[in-house]
Amino acid sequence: MGRIIKPVIVVVILLLVLAIPALAVVARSYILAPVAQPAKAQPIAFPHSIHVNVVGLDCTFCHRGATTQADSTVPALQLCMGCHAIIPTTDRPQLEKLVNAFNSGTPINWTRVHQLPDHVHFVHAMHINAGFNCATCHGDVASMAPGAVVQVRDLRMGDCITCHRENNAPTDCSTCHY
Amino acid sequence: MAHRWGMTIDLDLCTGCQACVVACQAENNIPINTEENFQQRRAIEWIRVERYWEGEFPNVKARYIPVPCMMCENAPCEPVCPVYASYHTDQGLNFQVYNRCIGTRYCSVNCHWHVRFFNFWEPKWPDSLKQQLNPLVAVRSRGVMEKCSFCIQRIDHAEQSAQLQGRDVKDGDFTTACAQACPTRAIVFGDLNNADSEVAKTVASTKRGYQLLADLGTNPAVVYLKKIDADPLPEDSKHKYFDSSQYTRVKETVAVG
Repeated sequence: MGRIIKPVIVVVILLLVLAIPALAVVARSYILAPVAQPAKAQPIAFPHSIHVNVVGLDCTFCHRGATTQADSTVPALQLCMGCHAIIPTTDRPQLEKLVNAFNSGTPINWTRVHQLPDHVHFVHAMHINAGFNCATCHGDVASMAPGAVVQVRDLRMGDCITCHRENNAPTDCSTCHY
Repeated sequence: MAHRWGMTIDLDLCTGCQACVVACQAENNIPINTEENFQQRRAIEWIRVERYWEGEFPNVKARYIPVPCMMCENAPCEPVCPVYASYHTDQGLNFQVYNRCIGTRYCSVNCHWHVRFFNFWEPKWPDSLKQQLNPLVAVRSRGVMEKCSFCIQRIDHAEQSAQLQGRDVKDGDFTTACAQACPTRAIVFGDLNNADSEVAKTVASTKRGYQLLADLGTNPAVVYLKKIDADPLPEDSKHKYFDSSQYTRVKETVAVG
């Protein structure tokens, strides 16, 4: 009996050890993938839907850096107050937070949704000027729930390289990594 | 035509002030070197100013040579990297990909100019300096080789700006941090393939150009201009071991590109 159990245990342990890298790859593709992460909590439940669908603003009206520089930039509260100074805040707790923050001079610490590693340098201006829509990477942000913007595209190196190859964009390492 | 970024360093103009070293340190988020680091020979300086003494006391002259990465055309550091972290870009830059590097340090062993540096520790800055870090340059973590990049962030930015404006990069659109900081304009940066650029003109016209360790045949993109000594030391007073002319071979014309 013992002569059978011993090799069986060895084989089982061996299979478990061999399964670790396979499981890691699977986890990286599914559980750990950026698109599989739940929406991050935001200090203010900002509704993109109202600003885009109801008011009809362009993405670049607020994210002004997107067409000219690397960062798309989150607008300063001053820009929000351009409109919100005359919009009543009664019974709108989210708006009240905005006005209070502006009046007290404290910036809002938004939680970053699309977080690339430090050694990756993405330049919004190049992609926008090459004719891509914001939605190509960011998805339909206007239809996302208030304060619940999620990442819809992988945006890891495989994703970037595939798109760069398809569009004849440079794939030299020094294009992004420095 | 693809760019070939290069540099000329006029040793006649260099005063050894180390402004280039400081500028590079600030631009490229290089960790602060302590005295201990220096004594261990683990200090990180993407550009350093080497000092040589010429002559015997009291007839001594100080000689300075700023040494950045030579950006060799046939770089000895590249073929030894097992993971292709050290590679050649299509613009002729010898480039280090930090996220590929596994820290074997073969490249630094194979570099004759000693311009590759290993991060032996996690880089640290005092709180007062954290806000001055350059957001355009990644901070290299422990276990990664790093080296002069010819300020690739500036190159990329200049190329992208030019592309957005629908033109090519012009000479003088940008320069490296060391060249920008040089008070005597001893360091000049530009495109060697562009015949109208200042560096290409200098390289084509100078009679005192030479490359450091040119005998190795790696064809560095950094061209030095020999010092003009108005008041040379008498031959017999020159130090027999530290005569800088022994280490520098002057060529009439320098083949670059």
